[in-house]
Amino acid sequence: MKTLAKNKLNEAIEILAQESKVLVPMKVNGVSKFAPWGSEGTLDFEAINTLLPPKDALFPHTEKMYSYKVSNQEVTDLTVHNEGDQQVIFGLRPCDMQSIKCMDDVFLTKTFVDEYYKNKRDKLVTVCIGCTKTAPTCFCDSMGLNPSQHEAADVQMYDLGDFYGVEAQTEAGEKLVAKWQNLLGEGEVTVPQVACTLKVDMTGVPQKLAKMFESEIWKNFSRKCIGCGTCTYICPTCYCFDIDVKNKGNEGYRFRCWDSCMFSEYTRMAGGHNPRPSKKERIRNRFLHKLEYFNERYGKNLCVGCGRCVAKCPVNVDITLFIDQLKEVPVNE
Amino acid sequence: MSDLTAKMRETAKKLFEKGEVVYVIGWEKGRFPYQSPPAFITSAEDCDRLIWDEFCLAGTAKYLLDDKYPEGKIGLFVRGCDSRAVNRLLQDNQIKRENVYLIGIPCAGMKDPDTGETAKKCRECTHPNPVVFDELIGEKVPESDKPERFDAVNELEKKSPDEKYEYWAKQFDKCIRCYACRNACPACNCRECYVDQYRVGWQGKQNNRAENQVFGLTRAFHISDRCIECGECERVCPMGLPLMELNRKLIKDLNELFGPYEAGVDPEVKPPLGLYSEDDPEEFM
Ligand code: SF4
Ligand code: SF4
Ligand code: SF4
Ligand code: SF4
Ligand code: SF4
Repeated sequence: MKTLAKNKLNEAIEILAQESKVLVPMKVNGVSKFAPWGSEGTLDFEAINTLLPPKDALFPHTEKMYSYKVSNQEVTDLTVHNEGDQQVIFGLRPCDMQSIKCMDDVFLTKTFVDEYYKNKRDKLVTVCIGCTKTAPTCFCDSMGLNPSQHEAADVQMYDLGDFYGVEAQTEAGEKLVAKWQNLLGEGEVTVPQVACTLKVDMTGVPQKLAKMFESEIWKNFSRKCIGCGTCTYICPTCYCFDIDVKNKGNEGYRFRCWDSCMFSEYTRMAGGHNPRPSKKERIRNRFLHKLEYFNERYGKNLCVGCGRCVAKCPVNVDITLFIDQLKEVPVNE
Repeated sequence: MSDLTAKMRETAKKLFEKGEVVYVIGWEKGRFPYQSPPAFITSAEDCDRLIWDEFCLAGTAKYLLDDKYPEGKIGLFVRGCDSRAVNRLLQDNQIKRENVYLIGIPCAGMKDPDTGETAKKCRECTHPNPVVFDELIGEKVPESDKPERFDAVNELEKKSPDEKYEYWAKQFDKCIRCYACRNACPACNCRECYVDQYRVGWQGKQNNRAENQVFGLTRAFHISDRCIECGECERVCPMGLPLMELNRKLIKDLNELFGPYEAGVDPEVKPPLGLYSEDDPEEFM
């Protein structure tokens, strides 16, 4: 396998940064996230996974869609904003790679192609670095992933102490690795194997949940939830958004921005009716979406086991405990 | 099991047996040793889930808003901060005193799960002993005024206006607008928050410096004289914004303008901005 010495890492990223925006794990102002190479903050390749997932790169928190001017009740100067640079996400973890696959399903398949997402996705190259350590809250291997690598990444790297093993897995990956030609060596590589300590048993979970819409578990499990957006905003796979306008005088723009199914006004309809009036319905939606609906539609879980919500929910509403408790719940058929 | 945990369970059990409460809100163990989240206990048999340890960080009182017309009394375990939160809700006419049975627990301070040190909100707490309760379990703990909780504000005040702007702008750049701060806050008890009045459009939905600051500052002003300094907003903020510096700046200013006031300590004393008094300062008139 090709190898890259760690002391050549900066040089390697610098080469990529000549042609693309390169997002790397960093600590910016105390927050661990993916940020552009060279921006203010400190590099953090030791982070197991970043607090904020890299989803912002494909699905920005706020995104201007088009802008317009109006004169005499006519729209003039309608401009669609769908620019976007070539991007490399460098150092994303297998869980986050899987989350991009989930978002690909949502935004690119089943009849509708979202042009805003597609444009960014087409210009993205992913460099995954396998985990050699797991956090206590990681459970990706229970969700069917391998913490050491992800086959969908354009380039897969393995952390081997003083150097990385480097493997191109796609054509885009080959091109990227070719740029490192002068930096790479060749060596025998044993792919490090690692396992999560937190385990859940997903056997039969989607099938069971399909019959549990009316279960008591939702009320009990949701009682302590405070209905904030923490779990959904730090989740790499949550993709709900709202579309709104900002007008000023005779001009304005339409934008989309993240929204959360945990917010009370998220499902409020024109006229005031709210089909998910309490946190019971909201928690139910979130968990069913993650563990059942998505399976039904796309054949995979919408939870990749990154553990972010497990670590960050202010009152420890814990999806892994939910999966555990499911075992004990009777199903009324 | 600690003595207090045993005492908690026993007290809750008795309340169920006497038919005094319909359910009890306390804390239980989460998945990890450093997690003791809120628990809802619905029967005497269930009481053994209750726990008292150094990780009972989350507030209990705000949950009373989920059930404003309960079928009977709600048993609520309250530390100092929770008891002040109850007073907050009482004074804001959100709950009725006869709908809650308060079991007070003096609190020696919780630990920050990340550092293992005493949690910041507990280091800054002036009332670890419950200020209102129906029954008290455990021994009272020493308490003090802790003027040092204003140290960070005093430091900030030394900055120039531009530096202050820079400082806060950078903080609010981090805000993801999850509203955890608002949702955890006992003073944020509006039936409908201005943020959610989307048709009026007070608060734009974009995540950017301007909108984030509008949210942070509006919320701070809305709760200013009613903030009970429980520190929950800052604890739950996933992005680590120093929200207590903002709250305490307002508290400090209010103290200087209207005299010393600690919200939620005595429900008979009205918050300075909720009360007209003839000797209120009127420099701007
Ligand atoms: S589950 Fe936790 S993080 Fe999610 S909305 Fe509820 S309280 Fe917030
Ligand atoms: S639900 Fe939680 S553990 Fe699953 S992918 Fe989202 S943040 Fe990660
Ligand atoms: S603003 Fe913060 S400290 Fe003040 S009452 Fe609300 S949650 Fe507590
Ligand atoms: S931010 Fe203001 S409007 Fe919203 S709940 Fe708090 S006090 Fe009420
Ligand atoms: S909890 Fe923190 S990140 Fe969330 S809205 Fe409040 S200040 Fe912003």
